[in-house]
Amino acid sequence: MKKVLVIGGGPAGLTAAKFLVDMGENVILVEKTESLGGMARELTCKGMAECRNCGVCFAIDKASEILKERNAEILLLSEVASAVKSEQTYSVKIKTSPRYVTDDCIGCGKCAEVCPVDGKAIFAPTGSGRPMTYWIDRSKCLHFKRAKCVKCADVCPTKAINYDDRARNLTREVGSVIYATGISPIDACEMSRLGCGILKDVISSVDAEKALNRDGRLLRPSDGKAPKKIAIMQCVGSRSVKAGVEYCSKFCCKYATKISQMLLDLDPEVNLDFYFMDLRTLYEPQDEFKQWAKGKKTVRLLRTMPAEVSLGPDGKLLVRAASETDLDITESDYDLVILSVGMRPSGSDTELARSLGIATDEMGFAKQGDALNQNRVFVCGAVTEPMDIEETAIRAVATASMTREKKEEGG
Amino acid sequence: MKAKIQVLLCKCCTEQPALLDVEKLKKLAEESNNVLSVLTVAGACDGKDLSGVTADAKLKEIDRAVVLACHKKDINPALFKAYRRAGVSEFLVDIVNIREEAILPHRDEPARAQTKAETMLKAALARSAMLSPLSKQSEEMKTRNVVIVGAGASGQAAAHEAAKAGVHTILLEKTGKTLQAPGVIMTHAQLIGGSGYGGNFELKIKAGEKVEELGAAAVVVATGGGWTTLKGLLAKAVKDARPLYKFYEQMQAGNTPAGPIIVVDTPDPAGKTLKVQDYAWDDTLETVIELKKRHPTVEVYVVFQEMRAFGLSELAYKQAAEMGVKFIRYDKSGMPKVDPKDPTTIIVKDFSHGELLRLKIGTLVFASIPPNEDNKAIADALRIPMSTDGSIRRGSIQRWPVTTPKPGVFVCGSALFPKSRDVAIEEGRAAGAMAGEFVRRGKIEFGGVVAQVTQEKCSACLTCVRTCPYEAPFIGTASKAEIKVQACQGCGMCVGICPSKAIELHNFTDDQIMEATRVLLGGDF
Repeated sequence: MKKVLVIGGGPAGLTAAKFLVDMGENVILVEKTESLGGMARELTCKGMAECRNCGVCFAIDKASEILKERNAEILLLSEVASAVKSEQTYSVKIKTSPRYVTDDCIGCGKCAEVCPVDGKAIFAPTGSGRPMTYWIDRSKCLHFKRAKCVKCADVCPTKAINYDDRARNLTREVGSVIYATGISPIDACEMSRLGCGILKDVISSVDAEKALNRDGRLLRPSDGKAPKKIAIMQCVGSRSVKAGVEYCSKFCCKYATKISQMLLDLDPEVNLDFYFMDLRTLYEPQDEFKQWAKGKKTVRLLRTMPAEVSLGPDGKLLVRAASETDLDITESDYDLVILSVGMRPSGSDTELARSLGIATDEMGFAKQGDALNQNRVFVCGAVTEPMDIEETAIRAVATASMTREKKEEGG
Repeated sequence: MKAKIQVLLCKCCTEQPALLDVEKLKKLAEESNNVLSVLTVAGACDGKDLSGVTADAKLKEIDRAVVLACHKKDINPALFKAYRRAGVSEFLVDIVNIREEAILPHRDEPARAQTKAETMLKAALARSAMLSPLSKQSEEMKTRNVVIVGAGASGQAAAHEAAKAGVHTILLEKTGKTLQAPGVIMTHAQLIGGSGYGGNFELKIKAGEKVEELGAAAVVVATGGGWTTLKGLLAKAVKDARPLYKFYEQMQAGNTPAGPIIVVDTPDPAGKTLKVQDYAWDDTLETVIELKKRHPTVEVYVVFQEMRAFGLSELAYKQAAEMGVKFIRYDKSGMPKVDPKDPTTIIVKDFSHGELLRLKIGTLVFASIPPNEDNKAIADALRIPMSTDGSIRRGSIQRWPVTTPKPGVFVCGSALFPKSRDVAIEEGRAAGAMAGEFVRRGKIEFGGVVAQVTQEKCSACLTCVRTCPYEAPFIGTASKAEIKVQACQGCGMCVGICPSKAIELHNFTDDQIMEATRVLLGGDF
């Protein structure tokens, strides 16, 4: 049976790979970074008392599950160097970088504690990424310089450090390729008028998710206190000609509304202002968020885009915005400002993508197409157009199914 | 027989945050009744360190375990496997989420975290001693049929993908339209009733005048939107108002629509349902762009509450605006209504300017797709939940996409809420693939934590039969309630509602819950 190559270990790649394995296929999953989970690694579960259907756990679960599958070859810290098509198959060359930490790692973190390098050279996987095995950055590690430092190996309780790990070049024959390289978030600091990168207490939604995922709460970066008044601003970078992102990133309203609800769950006293252009909460045809906000005295929905965030006299953040009716200008102060950033496709315009015949549209998204599918190359996930985890999962299952040949009935 | 409990502490969850006094926890466990061994592992989730656990459990002939760790879902598979090897049933392994329930909420108050962790451990130990071993059974599927209700874009896509898994697809279509799809196609057919559970459904299908019975292993609901009905004040006031798809068809046929053309999001702006259209805007924007291309001079107004131009549709939104389509947002203070004095004019207040606009109606078009009216009958037949507006409700994404809360029933397309054609097809493919995969396995697993009736106490009042969302209870030959184990999902609704207290949920019996609660509330241990 021909194997399927899945490029990208984010929600799309993981779902496709897991579904293929469930169907009895053999899968090779190639991931560029050190762990599986993609963007979902740094996102937080947004349910407190009840599930809010954000889909983050779905992606992380698939990462845990696929690692336990025998029919899946997981290659981390790896990149596909080339894929050459012969008649029925692709001959794929994969370059794998050394990790220097073996599977015996139990993720206790003692190595990182003793690492003498400023900013550390041995790292835990990003966020809730799987597996939880640590990895060493060769360019920073002193062992590979003159010092021959072996502090982490000495302290490791399971002797999991292996400095002799080598880079490997692998060749595999596969029948089909699923290309799911996903997205990268927009840097909120591209919008400097909103204070990102200048004011400490202006953070991007990615930072907020990271903090909530890591600590289960959100504190002011400047003084470590719990914020009492928070502003959330939508469409930072999205729907903006200046940022070159003219499309709507689709999932920002979804996650921002769910983070708002989560913040209120954590602290019912907190005052929250939600600035937006259009409220595009995906999968909420009944406008549940507006209903929810109506029932909360401390939540305001403001249909306006703030012009500027500056530092007020008492250390608070001053937000200037046109009023909803556009007739006058309002100023409000906040303890914390969260900027909801959108996304850009990632890896849609690489040499590998071009050699596989993947074309991009004017916004840089990879184009799906029958001709591509005929060549047994399938693009899926948010690299094709903006989408959230749930839609990504739906499309990944559909794509995984499409890689199969048609069987005769009862076969 | 005395219980033999092993207590397992996951270091990653208990020691790493350096909040808990683990030695004290260990001592507490060691001194408790029934506890034969206390072990620590570095990480309960990765399964590498668990061979020692298995060996210890075998040596001391452990028959149950309490694990102090984190979220159940993360550590489940590896841990259960390790215990299975030692002959301990997974139903006797109790996982206490110490990390998320004791440590994280009390990060600033280590003393409280410690007290809570200790109490949780005590309660778990008290309950664990009372648990009984359960087992799972399996059953062969009688047929390999996948029944797909609705042969629209998503239904046909589902049939193609399901067929790839080697199952028999049966496509039900209400109308008589001819289709190209694999498997059996039944036209003029409707699902009117059914019973059973995922794997073995018995469906009643009305085909033409006849009613047929049909066995099915899985069902895909692809009913689509309710295209034919227009309800609401605006639809009543303007006679030849039409839904978007009809307008599109007429435009494609080459008819010149009378201008100005007014597209309103819903025929019933003041109504409770369908205030916001999700994907319906994709199609609306495409249609007005096409219209402007064909008839550049015609005036087009789009009147809406919330413009949900998701993703790349934003580009279409912009393009339409540049082509001269006028977008008017309204809110509750100025709902669009037909002028009572002049039925050819519509009045709406523009939200952003606060101005009252009077628009002459050439053609009135509604962007909305109301939920399909057949959904009710289908949801009743399959016993799946519906949303308040009359569409089918999807299951949680925690499991898999396109599922419903009922195993073996999948849902796709506009049956959930309005979708554009492209998304509907993708969802159909996914639902077909999921159904195909479900049936390909050929058997279902059931049992474990399920409800059981104590027949002597049952008064056959039918309360459980009416309450159960999965149709598991029925009145058996002894005129007492019984539970169809294959259908029971262990939700416990019947247990709570039974007036005679005749039903109990395995491993969540009153005694077990009361004992755990007693200890939690500070009772003797």
